[in-house]
Parts: sequence; structure tokens; C-alpha cells
Amino acid sequence: MLWVDKYRPKTLDKVIVHEDVAQNLKKLVTEQDCPHLLFYGPSGSGKKTLIVAVIRQMFGPGAEKVKVENKTWKVDAGSRTLDLELTTLSSTHHVEMNPSDAGFQDRYVVQEIIKEMAKNRPIDAKGKKGYKVLVLNEVDKLSREAQHSLRRTMEKYSASCRLILCCNSSSKVTEAVRSRCLNVRINAPSEDQIIKVLEFIGKKEGLQLPSGLATRIAAQSNRSLRRAILLFETCRVQQYPFTNNQVIPPMDWEQYVCEIASDIMQEQSPKRLYMVRGKFYELLINCIPPETILKRLLCELLKKLDAELKHEVCHWAAYYEHRMRLGQKAIFHIEAFVAKFMSIYKAFLISTFG
Amino acid sequence: MRLSLSSTSILKLFSESFDNTMVRKKKNDEENGKNKKRARHSLPNHNRPQQFEAFCQDFDHAFQASVPLRKRELWVDKYTPQCLEELPVHKKKVEEVKMWMTERLRNSKEEIQSHALVITGQSGVGKSATVHVTAAHLGAIVCEWNPPTPTLWQEHIHNSSSGTRYTSKLDEFEAFVARIRKYPLLPLSSSIGPRKPYVLLIDDLPLTNGKFAYGRLCNCLHVLARSARVPTIILITEFIKDDSNDNSARYCEDLKSSMERAGASKMAFNPLTVNSIKKILSKICREERCIASMEQIDRIAKASGGDIRHAITSLQYFCLTPVEMSSLALSEPSEIQSKDKPDAVNPVSQELSLPFGRDETLSLFHALGKFLHNKRVCVSPNGYGRDAFLLKERFARLPLQMDAPERVLCQAHGQGRSIADFLHENVLDFLDNESIDDALVVASYLGEADNLLAAASHGSSMPRAITSKYELESISQMAAASVAVRGVLFGNSHPSPSRWHSIRSPKLWLVERSSRQNQNEMLRHRNEACSSLSTSAMSVMATEYKPILKWLGLEPAEAFHVHNEKIRVGDKMVMDNSGRKESDDLELEMSGESDAGDDIEDW
Repeated sequence: MLWVDKYRPKTLDKVIVHEDVAQNLKKLVTEQDCPHLLFYGPSGSGKKTLIVAVIRQMFGPGAEKVKVENKTWKVDAGSRTLDLELTTLSSTHHVEMNPSDAGFQDRYVVQEIIKEMAKNRPIDAKGKKGYKVLVLNEVDKLSREAQHSLRRTMEKYSASCRLILCCNSSSKVTEAVRSRCLNVRINAPSEDQIIKVLEFIGKKEGLQLPSGLATRIAAQSNRSLRRAILLFETCRVQQYPFTNNQVIPPMDWEQYVCEIASDIMQEQSPKRLYMVRGKFYELLINCIPPETILKRLLCELLKKLDAELKHEVCHWAAYYEHRMRLGQKAIFHIEAFVAKFMSIYKAFLISTFG
Repeated sequence: MRLSLSSTSILKLFSESFDNTMVRKKKNDEENGKNKKRARHSLPNHNRPQQFEAFCQDFDHAFQASVPLRKRELWVDKYTPQCLEELPVHKKKVEEVKMWMTERLRNSKEEIQSHALVITGQSGVGKSATVHVTAAHLGAIVCEWNPPTPTLWQEHIHNSSSGTRYTSKLDEFEAFVARIRKYPLLPLSSSIGPRKPYVLLIDDLPLTNGKFAYGRLCNCLHVLARSARVPTIILITEFIKDDSNDNSARYCEDLKSSMERAGASKMAFNPLTVNSIKKILSKICREERCIASMEQIDRIAKASGGDIRHAITSLQYFCLTPVEMSSLALSEPSEIQSKDKPDAVNPVSQELSLPFGRDETLSLFHALGKFLHNKRVCVSPNGYGRDAFLLKERFARLPLQMDAPERVLCQAHGQGRSIADFLHENVLDFLDNESIDDALVVASYLGEADNLLAAASHGSSMPRAITSKYELESISQMAAASVAVRGVLFGNSHPSPSRWHSIRSPKLWLVERSSRQNQNEMLRHRNEACSSLSTSAMSVMATEYKPILKWLGLEPAEAFHVHNEKIRVGDKMVMDNSGRKESDDLELEMSGESDAGDDIEDW
């Protein structure tokens, strides 16, 4: 088992990083009926951990017995029926899923599944009707239509089911959904907090963790606790005992993006654009989300760029990122951004160096 | 109409009395040819089983006297070639067919190994006519497999309620082939006197749908070609390959090659030349005494695309309504074109001005080539002065050396999505390597097109009830295609010197497919290997777990193996696969400059 999973706090009491949030949630769940919840915050800040802990708080250890199901849903969509395949993770008390995996058919998933869940609600020992919890991940990736239908279903079935939504950015969730939930913002942990967690894990594993390495891992983790722990484990596998200046392996795809950035800086021509396209394809094949690629690429480019151009390049990156969301094929827009950058940069070079 | 009232009862009545003669004698057929046609006209939308059709013919005989239809005969039938000289087909081809037939007819069965001949060609090039005329010339009788009429669904329901069992047309054909192999053709009617030789003609292959049915047909023909004892001629109509999206073209090729393997001889008929069509048309004109100028005949011939049947029908139609061949259209072909090369006729603009003609089709690749090569007319700056309002230099482009892009798209049946993908894949090759600005313009226009397409395919922002939903979609599809094409044409302001480029099919499709595969794999992985209590998002899997798992030496998979013996093999394979992929990945990173394309291609 990965350390990330192994040392994930199981209950709200054991949470290290967001103690205050955890305590509040505990109060909320134990004292009264819980409203719909919306957790948002950057990736690797502990949203999932908190959600799992909250569910456990609600239903006790029974909620930990989960099974993974790959279920096909038959959805009646007006004139035809669709077959949607979606993986769910469920216990007797809750169901968790990523509706955005269904792509543009996500709205059917949202409607259909909540309906079905509401139909067979569990009855607890006292004969009282209980409620189920539905955890929806990546709500911000849902299409606008799906979010709308989510809003309606939320109201209709609120008696029998609670939604816990989880996303990175609440700005991509519609106002209507947000106002129906209790919003819980989970900050990215500070580097000190990350170091604390790493030291905790090191102690449990019985490792000597020099503080220099812990600091460096925390710095490289981008304030993502998950990544920090993963990196820590990698370091352990690669070299133990630890030394202060040991190499922390970088993520391969980030390195690849870095390479692309230097390709772009080297030469600005259609031929180079074509070559770069091949590299983007490589990344896309490995399922790196295009938004992440674009963001990373911008970071890498900014590192090497003259301050004069930074503003403009950022502007265009934002522009093409937006267009990418509107469009279907990300590569068209990534490539347009690269072409734009090349054009700007070439003009800059010519005007500077003649 | 006169038959339709009683058709059902008659059908029942006669279904027993007419035996299912699939091989009918051609002579008989010829006599009834036109009556049969009329019978068909009299019962539109009503496909009848074959017995009934036979009945109709006889029925029509009775009426023949009362309906004087002689004058209205179709010219196509009227001017069916009667002798070898009248055939419009190239002399050499006719000679070949004749040779083949004489050999088969004269020699006894032992000497010649194969009695099958496959004739291929587009429709209307005179395949059947050649066979008939040649046979007549040699004094042989042509027996045709008379294809049964296809059964409609309603009809099937009707039949099954009356107890008739449905047999697929393919079954019937198979049965026929089996029969024809076992028994020689029986002289059906009174063949007193010297027995005439037979030639078997299979003009109409049963329609097959799907791989399985097609395979059966293939087998069947293979067997037929190998074991036929009578000279057998199989006609295969070729379709113009590019405008059929389905696999019929490929099927056609397969059929041919399979029969060739069985030893059948093969002959391909080319589309008729414009001259030979013209010759025939003017002959018909003379006989019918209709007024059609040489030029008009010329245009009809050109528009027919080598299809004589079509040409004759067009001529008849043309003579029926003596329109003044829009003299306007004649006098004003687009100005630039006439200036540039006056002798080049523009088939498309003509086609629109005439009341006949087939739609010209372009292959997708042809159209793409046009767009990508971006040929423009060279005009001297003062040449297009008259109505040109002055644009800034960076917006001005020379006039295109082709029809409006939308029209070309229309001819190529271009779908917005595929056009955009193809252009995206190929356009960079056609840009001048110095002009990154062009690339920028092109890329941004393609991006626009993509957004339009996305709007079209989502389309859900519009209420479902609106009936014109599909129209709206297709409009924005068309708009997207147009934006993509015009963007490419406009953006490519310094086309690289024209040289030969192959047009690649979009790698993007491959990428998407393998990305989806990887995603599924990863999903499975997530479910199997991650023992955490919650799932993690796809993106997190891809960006964080996967690289780390790689560094950790694929640990979770091992852990998983302990848990689950059964899926082990499959999973192992998957892991190996991904391991290989990742190592490829690494290599790529090491070598840096190596071509990423190869890597994609071999998945």
C-alpha cells in the first residue's frame, strides 16, 4: 500500500493538517442533520480525506466496506437509449463516482443515478428512513447542463440523499449549486505543515529524515500533500539512508513539458510547430489533461522569458485556455497558443537583435 | 394502378401455379421487356414477389392492344445496340468478349479450365449490352439470373401472416448457384431443332449487408467461378469510390480478386469517351429528327461522365422540353477564368446551368489538395482594379484558382469535423518555413472552427423540442468547415513552393483512441490497485500517481497480484504494456529530437 493511502487519517479526530475544519465538520455531523456539502480547494490539500472521514463519522465503520463496481446505466434520452459505463465506489451508505468520466453525457449520469439512489433508500435499525450520501468528484468538470440538472435533482431528492461535491475551483460550479451547499474551502497545506506530516510518517516508518530533505521535498511538492508524500516514498525507494542533498526525482511529464518549452524557444517555424505537436500528442496519449499541459508550459516559458513579454504571453495563454474549454479538440488550441507565442517571440527577437 | 386493388388475392391465387423459375429465358424477356416496365410503373411502391411479377407480364399482354404506348418509348430501350458495330464500347474490348465467348462455346468443357468471366465497370458503360449483342452475334442464348425483388418489411409481415416463409435473397442466390452447378440448363421452352448454346449472365448480385453476408456471397461466387460448366459472365458495377462512405468499394475489390483466384478471367470496361457518346447522341438526334446543336450534344456528353444510358436519357429529356440552353450561362463563365485560360471549361458552373447532368463528385483528398496547395491566379496589380476596394496589404490575397471553397466542400461531401482534422494535420507542411505568422493565423482559424463544431455537436443549449435542431447543427457544421477552409486559404499567404506532399490522415484520431485506451486502463488500475477508500480523479492519476508508481517499480500491481489470481495474466500484460510505453517515453525524453510519430504509430 502506498504511504499516501496508508497514512491517510481515517477519522476526523486524527486529521493533522486541517484540524479546525475537521473539528467543525465533526460538530456539524454529530449535532444535526447535515446539509449538502461542497469541498473545494487545490489538488492535494486533503479534500478526499476529509470527505471519507466525514462519511465515517456519519455512518461508523460500516462505511469503510466499499466495493468497486463498473456499472452500465441504461439512460433514456428522448429518442434513443444510451448505454453509459461508469465506475462507482459504494458502500451500503454512500456512493462515490466521477460523473465527468462520462464526458458530455454527464448530465444523464447525474440525473439517472441520483434518481436510482433515491428510490432504494436504506432503512436503519429503528425503522426510521435514513439517507444516503452521494459523493461526486470533479464537479467543476461537469458540463453546464449537468450542473443545472444537478441543481434540480438536489432539491427533489434532498429528503433521501445528501450530496457531497468535490472540486478544485468553485468558480466553475454554478452559483445555483453553490448556494445550495455548505461551502468548505480546503487550503493547500503550507510547507511547514507538509514537513510536519512528512516527519510524522518518517517516525511511524522508523526512518531518519534529515530536515534539509524534508524542506526540499516540501518545496518541490508545490504545496500538494499528496505529491509530497509520494515523492517522499520515492526517495525512500531510491536511496536510504537519506542524505540532505539527494536527488528528488521530478515528474516525467513535467520534464517533458520543460523540454517542449526549450524546443519552442529555440526555433520558431511551422516545422518546429509540427514537431512540438508530436510531443503534445505524446502527453495527451498519457492522459495528461490539456489544461495542465498548458499551465505547465506557460510556467516553463515564463521562466525563460524576458519580463517585457510576460504579460502578453500570460494574456494569450488565458485566452487560449478559455477557447480550449469551449472547443472539443484541445490540441488545436494548444497549438494555436504555441503559434502565438512563437510569433510574439520571433517578433521580439527581431526587434531586439535585428 | 389498375392491378393494385386485387393484388393480394391474386397473389395468393397464383403463388402456387407459377413455379419459381429463376432462370428465365432471355428471349421471352425481351418480348415482354417494355410491358414489364410498364407494369412496374403501374404499381409504384409495391414490391411484389417474383411470381406475381410474372403474372403481371401476362396480364399486361391482354392490355397491350388497348394502350398505345409505342410512341413514348424510352430512347434507351429503343436504341439498344443490335449488332456489334453499334456498340459504343471500345472495339478491342468487344473483340475480347467475343473471343472469350467463342472459345467457350466451341470447345468442349475439358480443355478450358474456367468458364467464368468477370466484367467490371461503372454503370452505363455498356457491359450488359456487350454481352447480349455478342451472344446474339454468336447465336447463343443468354440466360439471366433474374434477381428476386427485395422484400419490404411491411410486405414481409403481410407474407408471414399468409404463411409464406421468408427467404433471404442471398439464400436464393446460393441455392441457384448450387443448382446451376449440378444440373445443366434445361431447355425450358420448345427448343426443337439444333440446340443452341447457352451463356449464363449474372447481372445483379444480391445485396449484402455486413461482413458475414458478404463473406457468403464471396464464397458463393468463388465456387461458381471455379465450377461453372456453362460459360458464365458476372457483371459487377463499380461505384465511384470516393462518394460511398461504406465499404462497398472495398467489397467490390475483394469480390473481384476472389473470383480471379478461382480462375475467372477478368475484363474491365472503362467509362465511355466523350466522343463515342457524342457519336451515338448525334445519331439518335438524326433519327428522331430533333434539334440539338453540336455544342449541346457535346455538353450533354461531357456532363454524363461516361455513362451512355444517362446521356441518352438526358438527351431525350432535353428534346422533350426544348429549352433555350441558357445562353446567359454560356456567355458568362467567370471572368477571371476566361481571362486566364479560356479553353478550360469549368464543369461545375455548366452543370448548374443545364437541366440535366450528374453531380460531379470530388474525392476528399482531391478537395484537401486544392485547399492545401492554395493555388492562386497571378494577376498583375492593375488587373483586378475595377471593383476592388483597397485592402491593407496584409489582408489582400490574390483570387483563388478554384471554385468557391464551399462549393468544393459540397462536392467532396466534406464533414466539418473531418475536414478540420485533415487540414490541421497537414497544413503545416504546406506553409513556408519562415512564416510563423501564417501558422498562427491558420492555427487560430482552425481553433475557431473547432469551437463552432463543439457548439454544433453539443447543441444542447438549444431546447430539444425545436424541430430544426438538426438543421441548426448542420449549418454550424457547414460554417465550421467553411471557416476552417477559408482560414487555411487566407492564412497561407506564402505557400511553400509546390512540391509533392502526401496527405496524411489525422494522427489526432489515433492519439485520441490510444488516449482513451490508456484512460480505461488507468481506470481499471485505479479500481484494482488503489486500496484507498475513495477514488481519485483521472487527472490526478495521470499526473501524480502514474509517474510515482513508475519510480516505485510498479508496486501496487504486485500487491494486486497477491489478491487476485484470476485477472493476473491480463493485468500482467497490461502492466508490461504500460511499462514498455513508459520506457519508450523515457527514451524519447533522452533522445529528445527523435520523432515522436513513430512511437504513436505502432500502437
